[in-house]
Amino acid sequence: MMQHVKILRKEIETPTVFSLYFHWDVKVEPGQFVMVWVPGYSEVPMSLSSTGKEKCLTVKMYGDTTKALNSLKEGDIIQLRGPYGKPFTRVKGKTLLVGGGSGMASMRPLINEESTGIVAARGQDELLFADDFSKGNAICVTEDGSRGIKGIITAGFENLDLKSFSMIYICGPERMLYAVFKMLHGKTENVEFSLERSMKCGIGLCDSCSVDGFQICKEGPTFSISEVEKMGEFGKTRLDRSGKRVFF
Amino acid sequence: MSHLNVKAGGISLKEPGILASGILDENGYSMKRILLEGAGAAVTKSIGIDGRDGYNPPVVVETGSGILNAMGLPNPGIDNFSEEITLAMKAGKPVIGSIFASNANDFLKLAEKMSDYGVAAVELNLSCPHVKGFGTEVGSDPALVKEIVSTLKGSISIPVWAKLSPNVTDILSIANAASDSDAVVLINTVRGMAIDIYARSPILTNRYGGLSGSSIKPVGLRLVYEVRKELGLEIIGVGGISTWQDALEYIMAGSSAFQVGTALWSNGRKVFSEINQGLESYMKEFGVGNLMELRGVAIR
Repeated sequence: MMQHVKILRKEIETPTVFSLYFHWDVKVEPGQFVMVWVPGYSEVPMSLSSTGKEKCLTVKMYGDTTKALNSLKEGDIIQLRGPYGKPFTRVKGKTLLVGGGSGMASMRPLINEESTGIVAARGQDELLFADDFSKGNAICVTEDGSRGIKGIITAGFENLDLKSFSMIYICGPERMLYAVFKMLHGKTENVEFSLERSMKCGIGLCDSCSVDGFQICKEGPTFSISEVEKMGEFGKTRLDRSGKRVFF
Repeated sequence: MSHLNVKAGGISLKEPGILASGILDENGYSMKRILLEGAGAAVTKSIGIDGRDGYNPPVVVETGSGILNAMGLPNPGIDNFSEEITLAMKAGKPVIGSIFASNANDFLKLAEKMSDYGVAAVELNLSCPHVKGFGTEVGSDPALVKEIVSTLKGSISIPVWAKLSPNVTDILSIANAASDSDAVVLINTVRGMAIDIYARSPILTNRYGGLSGSSIKPVGLRLVYEVRKELGLEIIGVGGISTWQDALEYIMAGSSAFQVGTALWSNGRKVFSEINQGLESYMKEFGVGNLMELRGVAIR
């Protein structure tokens, strides 16, 4: 059912990413998502970047709907439904949070003093929530080398003892996930990916976001590395908005 | 479960429950998984001559007693769909190709392609309630329905099913027009809408959609019963089935098999296996050897 929440405040995170804070008296766990509707535009899936009493949507502007969200201000109403999907598995001990681009948004609720982050982006302006980690715990990777390591996200894993983490969480575009999957495969079992595909209904009916018969919106978006390993489609093919099978 | 097997609409099914068109049937891997989990067959998403992205979301609304949807017939076009059918058929069960078009010629082209891809039957979408020029707009014209069905029956060798709409004034004239088909599939979704009181706007991008789920079961049952009683046609029942009791109601109203869609949302993936188990228990308790002994027994 459609829910309605009032915006408490807006914060600018990067030149293309902003956050909208609101009260919503619903239990949401890290990794779950909501479908956000902007009347007159479209409805888009978004994970919550804050899951406490105060909730937060962190939005990357990439189309008409997200740009329309950017024009909202304090006191305006957001229409959303959810929360949907399977949350990340919570663990005790050290965690590694790996996020590419706006993928860091769904990681933010997991940040604590025992977590290390690999935060990747094209350039330093686009690094998201790197400064939310305890001092020295964020490994930044930029494609242009403007901050931290120059390269792609996999470069951030060098010098890390993978076995020392109780869980490694990863969120970002599928091509990035696939690169990380290939690197971690066979090295450690405690890994969860948050998958992202073209999503329409959000409730497990329309088949838009399915991977290998699994509905990302209902059985995911979080999957363990052993589940991802069995997915013949992962990182290889997907369906476009019409349902046409295309290669990554 | 050998005694759950039925012959319906010209094909043999090991289990009588069929995945309804439009639900988890765009991707071959999804269909294959549902077939392996207890569905007797799967009907594909409706496929047309040309690809369509469908409508922008919101495309669904949870109404509290069902789902309202207006997907807008998203499909990759018939030329891009063979791989999904091949993937689904790896489950070793029948796949039925749903097709939509606005005239008999295009329906025939689609049916021939589907037949080449290996489907066990084609289901004509004469009932989608939310796309201009297709579905109900075609399926509410008895002369056009008759032309489409007879064109296909005269040209292709696999069975032809006609999925009809509840959104018509006189179901008997439409069902009669489709009587050359191997089965009529009753019913598609019931037209409806939802309004958001804060946005002061219809929620669905298409404004109107089709209602499915348990709230439409009485509507479907009545239409199945009426068409079976008055015309004696072979019927595949669909509309609001989520339990074995619902399925039995449809069988007793005159269906030879039944389809399940929205219950994958309300009851989860276990819905087909649960229905199969419930039917078996009922048959055992009342000494029913084959499900078809119960077909139409409620008709008075």
